[in-house]
Parts: sequence; C-alpha cells; structure tokens
Amino acid sequence: MLVHSRTGKWATWAVFLLLFVPLFAVPLLVVLAASFATNWSGAFPSGPTLDHYDAATAGDSLQALTTSLVTAVTASLAALTIGTWAALAAASLGRRGKRFLDALFMLPVAVPSVVVGLAVLVAFSQPPVLLNGTRWIVILAHTVLVTAFAYTSVSAAAVRLDPMYAQAAASLGARPSYVLLRVRLPLLLPSLTAAAGLCFALSMGELSATMMLYPPDWTPLPVQIFAATDRGSLFTGAAVAVVLMAATLLVLFAVSRIRTRASYR
Amino acid sequence: MTGGAEAVRGGIRFDGVSVAYGGNVVLDRLDLTVEPGEVMALLGPSGSGKTTALRAVAGFVRPAAGRVFIGDRDVTALPPHKRGIGMVVQQYALFPHLRVQDNVAFGLKAQKADKAGIPGRVAEALELVGMGDYARRYPRELSGGQQQRVAIARALAIRPGVLLLDEPLSALDAQLRSGMLTELARLHRELPDVSILYVTHDQVEALTLADRIAVMDKARLQDCGTPQELYRRPRTEFTASFVGNANLLPVTVAEPAGTVDFAGHALAVPTGSVAGGATATLCVRPHLVGLGDGPNALTGTISEVQWRGSTHRLYVDVDGHRVKADVRELRDTPVLGDRVTLHFAAHDAVLLPQGAGASHG
Amino acid sequence: MPTKARTGWKGPAWALPPVAVLAVVFLYPLLLVVQQSFSPDEGGTSLAPYADVFASASFRSALTTTVWLAAGSTVGCLVLGFVLALVIAFVPFPGAKAVARFVDVFLSFPSFLITLALLFIYGNAGMANGVWTGVTGAADGPFHFLTTPWGVLLAEITYFTPFVMRPLLAAFSQLDTAQLEVASSLGAGPARIVRQVILPEALPALLAGGSLVLVMCLNEFGIVLFTGAKGVTTLPMLVYSKAILESDYPAACVVAVVNIAISVGLYSLYRAVSRRAGA
Repeated sequence: MLVHSRTGKWATWAVFLLLFVPLFAVPLLVVLAASFATNWSGAFPSGPTLDHYDAATAGDSLQALTTSLVTAVTASLAALTIGTWAALAAASLGRRGKRFLDALFMLPVAVPSVVVGLAVLVAFSQPPVLLNGTRWIVILAHTVLVTAFAYTSVSAAAVRLDPMYAQAAASLGARPSYVLLRVRLPLLLPSLTAAAGLCFALSMGELSATMMLYPPDWTPLPVQIFAATDRGSLFTGAAVAVVLMAATLLVLFAVSRIRTRASYR
Repeated sequence: MTGGAEAVRGGIRFDGVSVAYGGNVVLDRLDLTVEPGEVMALLGPSGSGKTTALRAVAGFVRPAAGRVFIGDRDVTALPPHKRGIGMVVQQYALFPHLRVQDNVAFGLKAQKADKAGIPGRVAEALELVGMGDYARRYPRELSGGQQQRVAIARALAIRPGVLLLDEPLSALDAQLRSGMLTELARLHRELPDVSILYVTHDQVEALTLADRIAVMDKARLQDCGTPQELYRRPRTEFTASFVGNANLLPVTVAEPAGTVDFAGHALAVPTGSVAGGATATLCVRPHLVGLGDGPNALTGTISEVQWRGSTHRLYVDVDGHRVKADVRELRDTPVLGDRVTLHFAAHDAVLLPQGAGASHG
Repeated sequence: MPTKARTGWKGPAWALPPVAVLAVVFLYPLLLVVQQSFSPDEGGTSLAPYADVFASASFRSALTTTVWLAAGSTVGCLVLGFVLALVIAFVPFPGAKAVARFVDVFLSFPSFLITLALLFIYGNAGMANGVWTGVTGAADGPFHFLTTPWGVLLAEITYFTPFVMRPLLAAFSQLDTAQLEVASSLGAGPARIVRQVILPEALPALLAGGSLVLVMCLNEFGIVLFTGAKGVTTLPMLVYSKAILESDYPAACVVAVVNIAISVGLYSLYRAVSRRAGA
C-alpha cells in the first residue's frame, strides 16, 4: 500500500531480506549448524557429528539443564504469584497508588541485572539470612528479575478487565474472594499464562546476575555455555545453546497452547 | 436461601439519597419508594442520575447522604454481595469462561445454596426465559437477545426480591427490543412478588412496562406517577416533553380562572392551580390537536409537513409560535404556506406552572 | 465512575505483602549496595571509594565505552527497526506475519547467543576469515573486529532491534491505512508519505522503544562477556570483574551505584515518554 509498482515492491523486499536474514536468521542457524559440526573454518561447517549433543545431554550439561529448568520454573511461579498479587492490588488502588506500585515493581527492569546480582550477593552473604553458596540465592535473584515482567503483563490485563464482570458476580451474592477465584483470575488466565511463558524464557536465558551468584553445584545452562566457549569448546557451547533454545521454545509452545484454549472458552 | 445474601421481599426505598463524585452531585436527595411487586421505571436522559440511583441500590456507589432500604432492611452500608438483588446490565456481563448453565448457577454456588437443588433451579430459570435448550453453550455462541435472556435467568436464579435492570434492551436492535419487551412483561406477570427497578432513556419501554415511572433530570427526581398520569397530566414541562410529544405554549393565566391568553388568543383550559395573572405553560399533545374550526381555534401558516405513514405531522406557525399537530393522513396533502385553523378541547390541555422542574427543549 | 472500590480487593492493605517481599529481596539489598559504596575496606564511612574509582582509568574508559556503545546501538536499532517494521507493515509480503512471529521468538532468547553466533562467523578461526584465507591464500583473515567495541555494537544492534520493531509494529497496526491511500491519491510519493504521515504517528513508539533499548544496552552484560574481549569493558562488566574477580566490593558497589543512576534516570524518562505515547 506504500509502494505500488511491482519492481518497487520486489526491490523493497530484496532490501528487507538482505537486512533481515543475515542479521536475525543467520545467527540462530549458525549456532544450530555449528552444534552438529567438528570444524568450521570455511564457508560451511564440516565434520558432521552428534558428539556435542552426547556431551550436551549428559553429565554436567544435563545437570545444567535440570538446574535451569528447576530455577526457571520456581522463579516463574514465585514471580507470577508476587506479580499477580501486586497487579491485582494495584488495580484496586487509586491513580496515585497504582503509579507508585508501577514504579516500584518496574524498578528491577531498570537496574542492571549484574547490579541486582551484586545486591543480592551483598545482602544474603551476611546475617540474618545466609543464602550465599546455595541454589536459593540464584532462584531468588531470578525471581527479582522476572517479577517486573509478570507484574507488567498482568497489570495491563487487570486494568483492561471490565469491572462489570466482578460487579455482576457481586450482585449475585459472591464474596470478594469468590469473585477473585471464580471470575477475575479465570478471565485473566490468558495473560497469566503469557506472563508465565515470558518469565520462564527470561529466567532460562539469564546470565548476568547468575554469573555473580552461582554456587559450583548449581550452574544453569547459560553459565555452562559460557564456560564451554571460554575454554574454547565453541561447538559444545553451540550444542548446549541449542538445548537451551529448544527447552525454552518447547515450554513457550506448551504455554501458548494453554493460552489459546483459555481464550477460546 | 442460605449464605450472606437473603432475598428480602418488599420493595425499595430511597430516603434522601445523594451521590457525589468529587464535588459533582450526580444524584440529589432522591426520595422514592418502589412497592413490593411493582415495576418502577427510572426514565431520563443520560446524565440524569438514573443509573446512579440503580447502582446505589446494588451497592456499587456509596451515597454521600441518605439511606437505601430493600424491604425493611437498611442496606446503605452493606457490600453488594449481601444485598440479595438480581441485576441485569446493558452489556449482559455474562461470564465468558462459563457455560450458560454455569453462569446461571453462579449465584447459587456463590451463596452456597443446597447443591442438590442447583440443577433444578438452573433449569427452571432457563425455562422461564425460554433458553432451556442452550444450557451447555458458551455465551459467545449466543446472539445478543439470547445473551440477554441468560443474563435475566442468571439474575432470577437466586430468587431475588428485587430485580435491577439497567438499560437492558439498549444493546438490542429495534425488532428484538420489542420482542424482549413483551417477554419482560410476561416475566413480571409470572413473578408478581419481585420488585423491578428499570432504568431506561426510552419512553416506550417505560410506558409499556412500568407500573409507575419516575422521571429524572439533572440529578433530580422531576415527577413520578403511573404512565397514564404522566402522559395525560404531566406536572412539569420536562415530563411533558420527555414522556411523549407535547406542544408547550407560553400563556398568561387570565382572570377569572379557566381561560389563558396565548399570543392574544383567549383559550379555554381546565382550572388549574396557577394563580391569575401569572405566566404559565400550556401543554397539548399533538395528536389531540385537530384540523379545522372548533373550540380553542388557532389560525396559522403551515411551515413544515412530515408524512409519517398513518398520520401527517403539521408544523403551523401561529403568531410566531410553532404548534405541532398530528392529524390522520389527509387525502389532500397540505402544502407549505397554506393557512389552516387548528383546535383542541379544553379538557385535553394541561396548564403547567412556569419553571416547575427543569425546563427542557 | 469510581465503582471498582467496592467489588475487588479493598484498600492498600492488600498491596502490602508483595511490596514487603520486594522490599526484602530487592530494595534492601539495593540499599546495602549504596551503603557499601560509602564503606571502604579500611572501615568507617567516607567518599574514598568514589574518589578511588573516579580516579581510575579503567572506570573512565568503561563509562565512555558504555555510553557510546549504548548510544550507537540505540541509533542503529532505531534506524534498522524502523526500516524493517515499515516493510513488514506497509509493503506486506506472504510470510510477513511469520516474520513478525519470528521477531517475538527472537526476543525470548538470551542475548549472548548472538555473540556466540558471531564468533562462528567473524571469529579469528571462523567462517569469514576461513573463506578469506581460502580465496586469497593469506595466512590471516581481515576480520578481527569481534573483540573490539565494534563487535559488541554489531551484536547489540542485532539483538535489540526487535525491541524497537515490536512497539513500532503495534503503532503501525493502529495507523489508518485510509490515511496512506488519501495521501497517495493526493500525489504524495512513498518518501513523502513516510516522512509526513507515518513518521509523526510512529514517533511516540520510536521514542519509547529507543529509550528502552538505550537502558537495556547500558545494562547489557552477556554480549560483552561472550566476546571475551579484554579491550571492551562496560560498567556492568566492571561491576562483575571488581566484585567476582578482584573481590573489591566497595569499588564494585560504586560502579553499581553509577550504573543504577544512569539507567534508572533514563528508565524514568522512558516511562514518562511511553505513558505519554499511551503505550
């Protein structure tokens, strides 16, 4: 509708592909291809192999996968609980109260993740709560980092939710707690699942704060990938990265299936 | 009925209820009683305070002053879920994630009604509105009219003593609306104990359904009475113009009572409460104005003609005042500029004190 | 109408539990960082850590690098994101929807994957240099920019451009296409339409997306860490190396406070802009 001539359109699309494919598609494909290669010093990778996947799905790397999954699921659920609670509370507050909560819960997005890691490290390496050296300090930092995203997406949906449903429920004699459980939360389900997926993906890929905090027995996938590339095993790193991407996509896909079912009703 | 909300038989009473939003008074000292089993229409233009009055009964707005009673119970401070009301709103507000039967059962479950009795009462409520075959559908699978029926069934399932209807038909198209109007009238005959507060801006709905109509404007109650009373004997200019169509003619009351002066014409009117010498407004319904000579004859020039199928609406300029007359379809269509004479019977006119209530139109 | 007060959860009391949790796990630790930035190792409270850090060359160069990298990446993302979003929205092609979906998926991957990919493409023993040496017979390829700030710039532009595209695509979908058709029927060429119709509409989204990307670039860590370049040190990198590699917590905290000040300041700006943009 902007470019009308045929040649103009094709030229535009050519420029688009020329920018888009090398910048966005190629990097992911390169990682994928490298994970199956033993050597890549020409135009194409060579020496097709599955060895890296043997390494990436066994031993330390397998451990890292479970570590990442446990961390991401725990942090996402915690963040979803806190974020949803705060978002629902904010929706019932006045304009000023809502703004205050918005600012407060969005703050972790603005603060660099490394600094969040440092702050958590400083605070929980000393009494009264000693978490340094345990998995809980990693999970805690991830929760802090993703809560903001849970809050934002649930908050946006809670504001959009027409109050008439809650009012209709109340007029039918439903207590506020019943209205929350049977009307508001079910109606918010699509955005809750979207928030859960987002939190999970962010936590799976979190590196900055994790680098500051991880104890030797709790190394999530991103740390594992860094360790591999840092010691020169780029191809193993690529395989672990593919595992990370696959796990993330799989969970996102499952979550979006739940979401379509929820919004279909 | 178990749980916190007990259905109370016996009407609604507003006792000096005022509501204000940030210093802006949207409902001003409303006194109104809805008798048990009565249908009361709150009729008024948007912003007249009628919906606010309904929401004060439901508990969604808190009055700044005054008290609201449902039956003998003062509910002013009660939260909505303890008031035992049924409510239907314009947008239906059916829960999109629940099937029709679960929507209707919602109130019963929320109030922890006897589990064994719920399916029966759901079926009964759906039968009442003719939606028994749609129990397993989701709201989005229903048409607007069907959704409205389900919304009514949902409100009735909890057997409320009071039913609040907030513009329930305004989202429906004209044809569906008249069908639902008949339905609602039938429903009311089947549920003679339920008091209904019916908010609308549509005079046809109010005239058709209501036992009494409360006319609201500018946050105040302007007039209240049966449809016939309001139509035949409006007490204010606003009522006269908002309920039905009216000629509102500025007149001066002459001595002795029984005649008024309208632009130099002496007109016979019923003796009213307006003192001699005062200015007043004379209300005559257009369909009661006849063409041709007769009592209270007024002669003028036709300034506009509208053909409305069975009638002609004539706008006649009488000494600078516009008089409307609805006359049966004429064989010889009147022409603009014709001089015609109009008349009306003295007992068809109503003399209104000037400035009674808010002036309108 | 103020009607929600009586149906939902009432009052500020309900907001207390999540706020309390956030205070314990986030605000209190942040406060400790600020406190520690004033506490040199020798004890007491003083500005000495600040003086030391500000005087160090590594901090100054990290600050400059961070700011210009973030600014450069943001400009790059804005230009690239605008062009790409423009094509997707207004010169649609079969598969444009799929591309939009791909952009969403791209956003859910961690940033360091880009650097990892670039290592294979432009690394010292990577594809580009391999092709070069194969074709020319030279002993060494010409691509060594990956361990310089330019490598970080390329990775950041690649990774963050989708963050600009998303709000832009949302803004473009709101734009009434009839406007474009009218403008075009009045004889305006594509360049003129973009400049006079589309750009003004997209400006809020561009501003919001741009400031978000600026903040994220200032805070970016994974991309820099993965290049493994000693020459590229940004503020987050400095926080990491001071704290973890050197165990110099007061210095790490000072750098952290500076980083927070810049990022949170810019982020407030972003919030203000996006609120005005209605985003």
